[in-house]
Amino acid sequence: MEKENYIENILNSTNGMTPVIPSDDLFSKIQQRIHLENKVSPKTLWLVAASIAILVMVNFSVLASKSKEKTSSTTAYLEMTVNKSNQLY
Amino acid sequence: MIENQHHFEKLYHEYRILVYNVALNYLQNTEDAEEITQDVFVKVYHSLDNFNQKSSYKTWIYRITINQCLDFIKIKNSQKRFFIFGKKSQNEIEYMNTTTFEHPGILMEKQEEAKILFEVINTLTENQKTAFLLSKLDGMSNPEICEIMQLSISSVESLIFRAKAALQDKLSEKFNNYRKK
Repeated sequence: MEKENYIENILNSTNGMTPVIPSDDLFSKIQQRIHLENKVSPKTLWLVAASIAILVMVNFSVLASKSKEKTSSTTAYLEMTVNKSNQLY
Repeated sequence: MIENQHHFEKLYHEYRILVYNVALNYLQNTEDAEEITQDVFVKVYHSLDNFNQKSSYKTWIYRITINQCLDFIKIKNSQKRFFIFGKKSQNEIEYMNTTTFEHPGILMEKQEEAKILFEVINTLTENQKTAFLLSKLDGMSNPEICEIMQLSISSVESLIFRAKAALQDKLSEKFNNYRKK
């Protein structure tokens, strides 16, 4: 009996509960967040991301072409020096 | 745009108490409930144009609120797991320690019992907790709950029944432990 009363008491503890009213400045906080999010639109974010990606790709392609150039010039120099030192005539 | 703004303001004033209280019952923390209310209304503002009139605004806002609460709990729990070896922040301790939370809407003389009730409610499964809170604390009917949770009436009835049974079991256990002491 005591147990049933205890359980019943706890289960009914929310009876007569009144709704809680949120703080008055909550709406201005929401408006502020919306305003901030509107300032940086998703379109702008995508544009920035795409620009960065293009920049990185251009950098990589320039670096790749530079290293290729360097290798070919080294080979040419080597050929030239080998020809000089091992001259048969 | 201005019309949209007016509509949004109207929705805010109509449903702010509902959203805040659902979040408060779910998370048992006033700061978290305020954060959820902000998230919900920012989402409502951005989705207002895409809202199809298939359900009422009330049902739609309820659904957003519950989903936000569930996501919030998931994020908090994953943070807890991630920083398992680190020092927990004050906020996390507050969040976990639900027994210290005093619901501002509950009568002073029932605060102690309500703390125990919320403690056991938190041990229920996600769906059981949602169905029980909507039914018991928001006083919603089963058809309304099934519309919000997008489940059949029989599923909702079964969830509420199982939730009550689980709560009674847990409370019975608590009573036995209390008597042993």
